[in-house]
Amino acid sequence: MALLELSGLTKRFGAFTALDDISLLIERGEVHCLLGENGAGKSTLCNLVFGVHRPDAGTMTLGGEPFDPRGPAEALQRGVVMVHQHFSLVPNMTVAENLMLGRASAVLKPQDIIVRMEQLAAEYGLEIDPEARIDELSVGERQRVEIIKCLLGDPQLLVLDEPTAVLQPDEIDALLAICRQVALRGKSVILVTHKLGEISRVADRTTVLRQGRIIETVAMEGADIRSLVRSMVGRDVQSAGSVLAAAVDIEGKTPAKSSSDVGPTSPGEAVLQISDLVYRDPHGVPRLDGLSLTVGTGEIVGIAGVEGNGQTELGLILAGLAAPSGGAIVVGGTQVTGCTPQEITDAGVGIVPEDRHAVACIKELSVAENLYLGAIGKFSRFGLLDKSARRKAAETMMRDFDVRASSPDVSMASLSGGNQQKAVLARELSLDPLVFLLAAQPTRGLDVGAIEAVYNRIRAARDDGLGVLLISSELEELMAVSDRIAVIYRGKLVGELAAGSFSREAIGAMMSGHAHV
Amino acid sequence: MVMKNPKLAQGTRRKLVPLQVLVPVVSTVIALGIGLLIIAATGASVVEAIEAFWDGMAGSDFNIGASINRAISLALVGLGFIFASRANLTNVGGEGQIAMGGMFATAAALHGAGGLPLGLAFIVPLAVGTVAGAVWGGLAGFLKAARGTNEVISTLLLSFIALPLVYWSVESFHLLRKPISDVSSLPESAEIPDTTKLPLLFPDNGSPLHIGLLIAAIAVVVVWLVLKHSTLGLRLRAVGLNATASRRAGMRTSFYVILAMTVSGGLGGLGGAIMILGQQFYLTSDFSSGYGFDGLVVGLLSRGSAVGVVIGALLFGFLRSGSINMEISAHVPSAVVLICQGLIVIVIAGSAILTNRKVTR
Repeated sequence: MALLELSGLTKRFGAFTALDDISLLIERGEVHCLLGENGAGKSTLCNLVFGVHRPDAGTMTLGGEPFDPRGPAEALQRGVVMVHQHFSLVPNMTVAENLMLGRASAVLKPQDIIVRMEQLAAEYGLEIDPEARIDELSVGERQRVEIIKCLLGDPQLLVLDEPTAVLQPDEIDALLAICRQVALRGKSVILVTHKLGEISRVADRTTVLRQGRIIETVAMEGADIRSLVRSMVGRDVQSAGSVLAAAVDIEGKTPAKSSSDVGPTSPGEAVLQISDLVYRDPHGVPRLDGLSLTVGTGEIVGIAGVEGNGQTELGLILAGLAAPSGGAIVVGGTQVTGCTPQEITDAGVGIVPEDRHAVACIKELSVAENLYLGAIGKFSRFGLLDKSARRKAAETMMRDFDVRASSPDVSMASLSGGNQQKAVLARELSLDPLVFLLAAQPTRGLDVGAIEAVYNRIRAARDDGLGVLLISSELEELMAVSDRIAVIYRGKLVGELAAGSFSREAIGAMMSGHAHV
Repeated sequence: MVMKNPKLAQGTRRKLVPLQVLVPVVSTVIALGIGLLIIAATGASVVEAIEAFWDGMAGSDFNIGASINRAISLALVGLGFIFASRANLTNVGGEGQIAMGGMFATAAALHGAGGLPLGLAFIVPLAVGTVAGAVWGGLAGFLKAARGTNEVISTLLLSFIALPLVYWSVESFHLLRKPISDVSSLPESAEIPDTTKLPLLFPDNGSPLHIGLLIAAIAVVVVWLVLKHSTLGLRLRAVGLNATASRRAGMRTSFYVILAMTVSGGLGGLGGAIMILGQQFYLTSDFSSGYGFDGLVVGLLSRGSAVGVVIGALLFGFLRSGSINMEISAHVPSAVVLICQGLIVIVIAGSAILTNRKVTR
């Protein structure tokens, strides 16, 4: 008998139907992957199972009994646990203390926790120091604590919502191994992901969701990966080439580059020169520690690294939103170290910031207003706005960059993430002068179609002679798009690979600070 | 929730228009109804009270003029409020800005401006009062930009400084207090020279209506243009909605924060100057008597619209006149009208939740 049975589940948010008549069986002892693009309904489905939301229609049974959790507490009681994308750990407490949280009623002594942790370490290889403080742990280790927290009570069903998004390659491998171990012990695992490489390594069965509906559920043995991609995207992936393959990480391997993907063999003169860049955060902790980097005209330089190694700070400094504590930045011969955003823009720098909502656009303003946010005075006479001229220009820009919105006057918030990002790219790539583009995590949270568009824009910019710096935590993305990859670790570049010599293993090793190449 | 309105206005403006009109009207009617019940409860004659109230509001050319004159200052404070709120700043210091404006306008009128030709006799005090209010508001903007001080707190505290400053100035002979002529001389300034008083619009029919009306009308149009149709208005809005994104787009966010508060305070200061130069003619320690807070309410009720400010200011201006007369001739405490004002605010603020919820659906 199946452990969890969903029949006819429907969930609406206002007029939007997030899940539409979902029926699905989760067997005991299986790793069941949920595959789908952003907005396909994967997280909503998890939240229904974990009791965060309640379905508008349909029923669930767990172990043959009706299951209608009114909240996470009830789901936990029934043996359903969930690891969310965002961790719920208290940073300045130890691992053991975090594990005790929320269990005050269940008379658990610290000793009991430690004993239980030893059991879990023996069973699943989940080793971690109970006395370590959370803020001393890496992201992968923190996630391990979350999983231990889930397994403490010996659950029946473990739900993991996009657990690999924040991990580096060897941590992903370890996590997938843990999933298998959990399943081996007769428990069930629901793993949400949009990466096919992971699915083929861990899943027993995979359910593909698209626009809130189940497209298919397939057993992974002998399954055709490409047909899964087709189900997920809704069209044939061949047409999109290696870009798309990279986006969904097919088979976890480096996609072969077609000749058009590779830039000019010898990049031209330097457009961006960073030397000995140092940045200390307000607490005096060095986030950038003597970083030096050169980007030439007509090349895309990728920055690989586990998040939190200084990429964010590098992006903020290049955008003029943080002042470096030391070092120098020169763009096309102009000193821009510690300059204002306007001066940096004037030097010919386009910025696609990491945080689209906080930095790149103002979601309450219209698309047209966002497209000309840096040039509000461009369409004005005597200080009064010429809205019709602006609308016309915005329409042209939206057509050129395929920004899909019913009108330039609708609010930015009403656009999909992909169209918002296209609008940001449109604005930044239309700057004049423009010699250098920073794209920080440019495809984060976007669906496959939009990712493809972003890659194409970045490539086109490179072909037009721009220097491009691509900061990304997606290794596949970097390998598919970059002409050169530098690896950042603890605020420094620790190695560099030229196109043709990219390897996941070498980059992964450098990302964790292990090897120099 | 009312202050966070820009979000709401965007994109759904068309759907909201009927509600935006309906909500204040209905809440006013409900509040006035409750006010009548309270009057009945005090034992006074309701009919008498209504008569006295109506007479005070609009019973004569004089009363209509006086009501509109009151509305002028309220409108200016309200305009200042919506100007700041365009940048997502909440200026609750209208009272202090009025006080500074009135005090410095009095000083200018008494010391030097009186002899100036070509209307400068009253224009200069108006300008001085405006600048004084602008400095008082701009100070809060500067604190916000430089130190991140919450402007709600700083404008409020600056009011608590401004009011005693006025008191001090009318208590001190070496400042603005008029010389004692007999034992009943109050702590107040001397009357300002006739040349510095605002010219009347209809000097022949006895209406006290003065050219402050024209000044306020110009201010309404200018504020409306700036907020709705100018590059400055868009920049203020951008900075208020998302300072980081605005900074990235090249805007000097501190400048716009200070500017918004300066203009906001300046409008309040102008309101205070007009109260002295147009109506009261001498400075007393409590001359601002709640106009700042009423103006704040007018700004809140307008939901960011300049036209809404005009309507709200007229409503409150007439209510104030009516309540004064009601107290004098029908012996109903004017506090009843204050209660009504409070009720209007509560009902509108409460129904704003309702309209907001409708919109998000």
